[in-house]
Amino acid sequence: MSIYLASVLTNMALLSFLALSAYLVLIVGEVSFGQQAFFGIGAYIAATVTAIFHGSLITALLAACVTGALAALLLGLLTVRLSGLYFSIATLSFAELYRLSLLQLRFPVEVNGRKSGPDGPEGFENIRWAFENNLDVHDFLLLASLCLLVLLGVFLWLERTQFMKNARLAGKDGILAQSLGIRPDFYRLLFISASGALAGFGGGLFAHFNSYIEPAMFGIMLGVHSLAYAIIGGLGTPLGPLLGVALDIGILESIRALSQYRMIVFGGLVALLLIFRPEGILGPQTVHRLKAWMRRRDV
Amino acid sequence: MFECNDIRKSFGGIDVLEGVNLTLKPGDRIGLSGGNGSGKSTLINIATGFVAADSGGISLDGKSYHRLPPWRVARLGIRRTFQSVRMQPSAPLGEQLYDKNTDAQTRADMLQDSGVNAYLDRFPAQAPAPVLRKAEVVRALLAKPRLLFLDEPSAGLDAAELEKLGVFLNRWAQGALILVIVEHRRDLMDMTVRQQFELRRGRLVGITAGA
Amino acid sequence: MSSSARIWETARLDMNANPVMEVVQTTLDGLLVGAAYALIALGFSLIFGVMKRINLAYGSCLLLGGAVAVWLEPYLGWGVVGIFAATVIGGTVASVYVERLCFAPHSGRRAATASMISSFAVWMQLDEISSQLLPRRTHDFPGMALDTIEAWGLLIRVEQLLHLLAALALMGGVFLLLYKSRFGLLLRAASENIQTASLLGCHTSRLGLTAFALAGVLGGVAAFLILSNDSQITPLFGLWSTFKGLVAMMLGGMGSIPGAILGGLLLGVLEAHVAYHFGAEFRDIATFALLFLILLVRPGGLFGKSAYRTERNAGERL
Repeated sequence: MSIYLASVLTNMALLSFLALSAYLVLIVGEVSFGQQAFFGIGAYIAATVTAIFHGSLITALLAACVTGALAALLLGLLTVRLSGLYFSIATLSFAELYRLSLLQLRFPVEVNGRKSGPDGPEGFENIRWAFENNLDVHDFLLLASLCLLVLLGVFLWLERTQFMKNARLAGKDGILAQSLGIRPDFYRLLFISASGALAGFGGGLFAHFNSYIEPAMFGIMLGVHSLAYAIIGGLGTPLGPLLGVALDIGILESIRALSQYRMIVFGGLVALLLIFRPEGILGPQTVHRLKAWMRRRDV
Repeated sequence: MFECNDIRKSFGGIDVLEGVNLTLKPGDRIGLSGGNGSGKSTLINIATGFVAADSGGISLDGKSYHRLPPWRVARLGIRRTFQSVRMQPSAPLGEQLYDKNTDAQTRADMLQDSGVNAYLDRFPAQAPAPVLRKAEVVRALLAKPRLLFLDEPSAGLDAAELEKLGVFLNRWAQGALILVIVEHRRDLMDMTVRQQFELRRGRLVGITAGA
Repeated sequence: MSSSARIWETARLDMNANPVMEVVQTTLDGLLVGAAYALIALGFSLIFGVMKRINLAYGSCLLLGGAVAVWLEPYLGWGVVGIFAATVIGGTVASVYVERLCFAPHSGRRAATASMISSFAVWMQLDEISSQLLPRRTHDFPGMALDTIEAWGLLIRVEQLLHLLAALALMGGVFLLLYKSRFGLLLRAASENIQTASLLGCHTSRLGLTAFALAGVLGGVAAFLILSNDSQITPLFGLWSTFKGLVAMMLGGMGSIPGAILGGLLLGVLEAHVAYHFGAEFRDIATFALLFLILLVRPGGLFGKSAYRTERNAGERL
């Protein structure tokens, strides 16, 4: 496999974490424009753990997960009264606030004669864990895909549980959920926190794959994309967001003729899908029909 | 035992409930009628925790649940249906008509009996309104509640369907379940309930059956 | 984010001796910059007032208007007037496009969310088109070359004064249109209740279109005034205007026309003082911190009757 292909695939896997985190928030009925902040928090925390404190990648990813979850929990608690567009704008301003604060965060450190640590707009250089441990692009692809596969397994198992059905109901109709003994704010906070953990984990991997991160990477563009992946793909199955990623990166970015106009095509595509397939490509009804079709074929 | 004690509620200065008293024993089935805006729905909303009463006490088996959030009230075994049907729009009916409190055989019988059976694979948007009404009742009964409020269950049903719903309720709303049917029509109530009340000027007035 | 960096370059007298004058000058600078915010917020408020939805692509429509004007500049005659016309027309066309693609097709309970997401995606699309029209990123934007005047020891840029006057005049115009004309009555009826409006005999779909066209014209005028004051345009202008307009509207009161003006001025003054005390790089941090705080504390805005609460109650009706 060429290095180019491997790095495109790795990027797809990393974006999938972000897309799945947006998916989690959508399930509990909210639209987040701010998942890129948790991705960024995970990236900076994980980079700090390995590059400055010489921790292992596992520690770094754990720290990224926990910090992402805590930040998301905080955001969830602060916005507990908000819903709909007010929640969305709050997440957007939270994410921009985080990005702008990163620009002011300057703690450059010297590690083995190289500059590292967060340095405002100049970014965080020399995150060399992968290099020092002889992980090349292919190893990284393997690592990222394995993590993603495990995660998908967990998601697919969860989809069959009453727990997930309750969460979906809480997101669709909070009043009905309450009348059935389901507590909507519990699911809301839990899923928002989990989305922070996922995005943080993805960000941690991203920092080590890229070996360099800067605040501009965690801007609104990233947020639009992660949300759009989940919406294009559909909310019927966790495979939906992955389909969204595959469509965007796999088709739009790899066709050279299109790549220059990628955002123009992509933005229009999202708007059109919202009109003609508001539940996404793999919406609940489609997934239900596909499952029935597969069962019939088995028999 | 379900008790309402001197429940009062006003909205924007208009008194809707002016001291409602009601005591129901296990197995009681009552009808509650009253004109539009007489406070029928408000009473349900208070009894299920969606609206807090201005004053008064409300309890199940002697335990007061005044001011508990709706989801905790529901966990006490108090269920309701809604005036405009509420089903999860993005799940097939079959998935929503399930509750761990009811065994598979009873569930199958109940689904068969209700006439919802043919629609289990459909999503709410693809099922006719009368089916959804019945599905809502089935969903509530599957949870084996101790107290069940039906908010205008006959709305949108024609005479034949109404008859079937009555037969269904007579068969399945049994045992210790306390059933409260809120309607402004009398036909369903005459079939299923033993006692009828009317909300008049914010108070409950008993009316004799068949009057 | 600070694409319109030049907007802050207010001329300053040497006033190191007089702290009171410093405060007055900073406040004045803030008011003048705030006038630009108010101009943008006006369009936001008009759309939110009529549709009860947020158009996140609004700033991008302004950017596209400006970008089209710059792109057409070699072919246009009439100097600044041609640029002005191209900006307004470009902005209006973009705004109408957004309405057709992101707002008109959605109705019902989920409309607000669907339109918001859709306009979020189209925001990126319009920004990209503008970037393609502005290959050098930073392009000159023809200015009106007006002077700076000095009065009572204070410096005022005439262009910025023009912003303030334009904002007030446009506000007056929008106010008259909304509250004194039959068209305005229909618009307001539609914002309260679509069914009532159609009973009153109006084509509700055409109302949305008209509101967006109007917002596009307002936005085009705002874009021209701000860009010519900056005398430059960059692709970041779209993001910048969306946020400043959004914050100004949310600060003043969702959908309130006077609220948009007050919110814009307040945001300008607040930013000016933050920048004066903590440095210019904290200007945008202040904007977002303010937006976040308003949402947590008073989601309906400071002055508006709480659109937020009415909406919430409607959502929770059993």
